[in-house]
Amino acid sequence: MTGQSIVLAADVPFPPSVEDFYLPSILPWGEHGSYWFTKIMVLAWLSVAILIVFFLVSYRKPQLVPTKKQWLAESVYGFVRNNIAVDMIGKEGVRFAPYLTTLFSFILIMNMWAIVPLAQISPNSHIAFPIILAVISYVMFIYVGFQKHGPSYLKHALVPPAPWFILPILVPIEFFSNFIVRPFSLAVRLFANMFAGHMLLLVFTLGGFAMVSANGLLAPVSVLSWAMVVALTFLDFAVIVLQAYVFTVLTASYIQGSLAEGH
Amino acid sequence: MAGQQPPPEPREDDAPQPPNSGQGMVAVSYLFAGLVVWGGAGWLVDQWLGTKGIAFAIGAVLGAAAGVYLIVRRLGA
Repeated sequence: MTGQSIVLAADVPFPPSVEDFYLPSILPWGEHGSYWFTKIMVLAWLSVAILIVFFLVSYRKPQLVPTKKQWLAESVYGFVRNNIAVDMIGKEGVRFAPYLTTLFSFILIMNMWAIVPLAQISPNSHIAFPIILAVISYVMFIYVGFQKHGPSYLKHALVPPAPWFILPILVPIEFFSNFIVRPFSLAVRLFANMFAGHMLLLVFTLGGFAMVSANGLLAPVSVLSWAMVVALTFLDFAVIVLQAYVFTVLTASYIQGSLAEGH
Repeated sequence: MAGQQPPPEPREDDAPQPPNSGQGMVAVSYLFAGLVVWGGAGWLVDQWLGTKGIAFAIGAVLGAAAGVYLIVRRLGA
């Protein structure tokens, strides 16, 4: 055991806690308890900037034979429009493709920070971001429903096709499931996945240091732990893409539910 | 990009199915909602009458059954 790694390990806090998600303030520099401008905020704004600049630049002068950037942008848009919007919602889905594409790319970029070196935390691991995204989808599918059906949207959403005497039992379930569980599960699913991903990486990284500093004989286990970090990073990548996809698909499916004709 | 038309052919039966994770989530949320809503109502009745979990049990079973029924009606063939 070299002295250096012991020094390194000594100031590694273990086990990681929720506090590790509250990064130090950048402006004012290093102030405690100030969370207005942290790395989370920087990454969120950076995501917005990347999204805007990428799509503007890659579609500034569209070519018949697309450039590489244009091809990428068109692929992302085409994927969301054909494989999510049109497939789930039907012909009307084209109308929602721009929003769904924005949603998909935004969540993807926000999630991706979790495994980008030096960033290594996703803003979506703070539940505030998923909540706002879920609220947008929530307001949207309710608005679309009222727009399509008028006041009878409530009947459409709450009254299932069933004999009248079971309805008193079913309507509260429909209400709870459609208007309370939906936004909640949208937000929590995204948040929990990103939170758990970051936590896992922290546990295995810091755990390696903790074991080495506890006992030099544990060094091989530490190496194993760090190897696990690499594997888990790939797992996290899969989760990142999947969660962006799931959020978009579910939003599309809720919109489809609002647009569907009567039973 | 936005001006392009969607694929002209509507889905045929032998075409790949659309992503169905939405339906799975709907099914789970019905089951969950049935349990929570009527289990919760039963629990409230328990508190009110001072019974020890009988109303909660009835409510939970009833809610789960209603959830399954809803899944069949909404998602079934």
